Amino acid sequence: MDINETLEILNRIFRQVLKKTEITLSENTTAHDVDGWNSLTNMLLISEIEQTFQIHFPFREIVKLKNVGDLCRAIISKTN
Amino acid sequence: MSFISPEFICLFIFCFLLYHLTRGKSRKTVLLVTSGVFIGYFHWEFLLIALSISLLTYNAGLLLEKVRPKNKSTQTVYWTALACLLLCWTGFRHAESLTGNASLLFPLGLSFYTFQAIAYLTEVYWEETPAERNLPDFLLYMLLFMKFLSGPIERPNDLLPQIKKLHPASYDMMTYGLKLIAIGLIKKLIIADHLAPHIDEIFQAVHTASGAQLIMAALLYPIELYADFSGYTDIAIGCAMLFGLRLSPNFERPFTAQTITDFWRRWHISLSSWVRDYLYLPLTSVTRRLGQTGIAISLIITFVALGIWHGVGWNFVIYGLIQGIVIVWEQNTTSIRKTISRRIGSPLYGLLAAIRTYLIFAFSLIFFKAKNMDDAVYFIRHLSFQTHSNWKEIDLGISDHICIVTGIALLLIGIYEYFMARTDLLRQIEKQPAVVRWSIYYLTAFLILAYGQFGSENFIYLQF
Repeated sequence: MDINETLEILNRIFRQVLKKTEITLSENTTAHDVDGWNSLTNMLLISEIEQTFQIHFPFREIVKLKNVGDLCRAIISKTN
Repeated sequence: MSFISPEFICLFIFCFLLYHLTRGKSRKTVLLVTSGVFIGYFHWEFLLIALSISLLTYNAGLLLEKVRPKNKSTQTVYWTALACLLLCWTGFRHAESLTGNASLLFPLGLSFYTFQAIAYLTEVYWEETPAERNLPDFLLYMLLFMKFLSGPIERPNDLLPQIKKLHPASYDMMTYGLKLIAIGLIKKLIIADHLAPHIDEIFQAVHTASGAQLIMAALLYPIELYADFSGYTDIAIGCAMLFGLRLSPNFERPFTAQTITDFWRRWHISLSSWVRDYLYLPLTSVTRRLGQTGIAISLIITFVALGIWHGVGWNFVIYGLIQGIVIVWEQNTTSIRKTISRRIGSPLYGLLAAIRTYLIFAFSLIFFKAKNMDDAVYFIRHLSFQTHSNWKEIDLGISDHICIVTGIALLLIGIYEYFMARTDLLRQIEKQPAVVRWSIYYLTAFLILAYGQFGSENFIYLQF
């Protein structure tokens, strides 16, 4: 799986969880750039991502994710 | 030694002069010695406790880094240090009830520097920040006198780099800091301290107050609390700016919030973000498989903990519980709010939502301010529009003259905060002609000296 494929799946998850159809993520996107992505929805997104990709993020790893690019790379390293 | 005491003003001026007359490492020594004097002035034991906790945290940070490359358990070091900090805080918080000795004092600032210590250790444990090796720098991070008593709770990545590069404050920074101090003094001396004695009286004797007086006290207390605490914060941030240091903001027009969720992003920001990062997020990580239920459980635990931090008793648990339940409710009713907003129009909805948020917060503060649970329940059960004799008593005994002065000050602060949201009003003042500028300065000084309620040196959040 490459970064573009991962981004595509993440777009779908973000739109579904945050109930916003207009979301388009890029590698540089952070929580500040997406309306509704905050501390109250962050773990819902992580949980959905974990179920979709059948992976698990320890909390210390989640803390280190600074943008969508970091998230994509973490998913790719766990799924490949 | 309060910020509004002659002793503090003398110490501050002496420290300010020495700081700007010395160079290099001597500046750190000046700030460190001043912080020591400031803390020790209350009780030398307070300084001893603060130093012990700082040294424990400093050494635990170094130990965390030492054991990490050898693959030894960093968890043991982290949790042991954390347990020591929490035990110490809990021990002092409950010392009076545990020993029955009423003369035992809760060390000033303990909650705030313990929070800073936990933030530092957690950041080192998460490898988000390196352990600080320079002891004087670390001690200044923990004990810096401007934020020692009631915050803002500083993160290591924000304050430590500034401490490492101490420099004299620029003229711009100094004048800006002085203006912030003036704003803080207006909030504290003209608004909070004029309201405090009358509101305190109602909360101390809820059984003798009329229903209308109870309503007025409940409605005015959020204003008093905000003026007191944000006044303190403005003074603390302003004082730090006179030394070229930038402390974190603590308030961002909280009474414009349309939801309690938004309110907690604007109220006591350094504490609410601390609680979010070091308690709520780890909790949601554990409960994330439960979806929305997990978020709800984490929110309620977090806010109950926040309530308990403020004091011992069921009333503080209920205070936290109200915040948690309302936020959970708000998370599940977003679409209803959007529909109402569309139907009645955004401006009217914004106004009504802000009033609703204020009323919910004012209601929860009854539990926060009441002496105990019985008083809080009595207070709520007797809220009504009934008076003992006539409507005049809703002024809570505040004289007409003080009502006008406090009302005007409140209006001025409201206008100031309204414009600060759009442009930096304090910077705009600097661009005005000298006549306008100095007229504003003299008028502000006159207002503070003529109408300030001098005499009370206490700030509400000192007790925490």
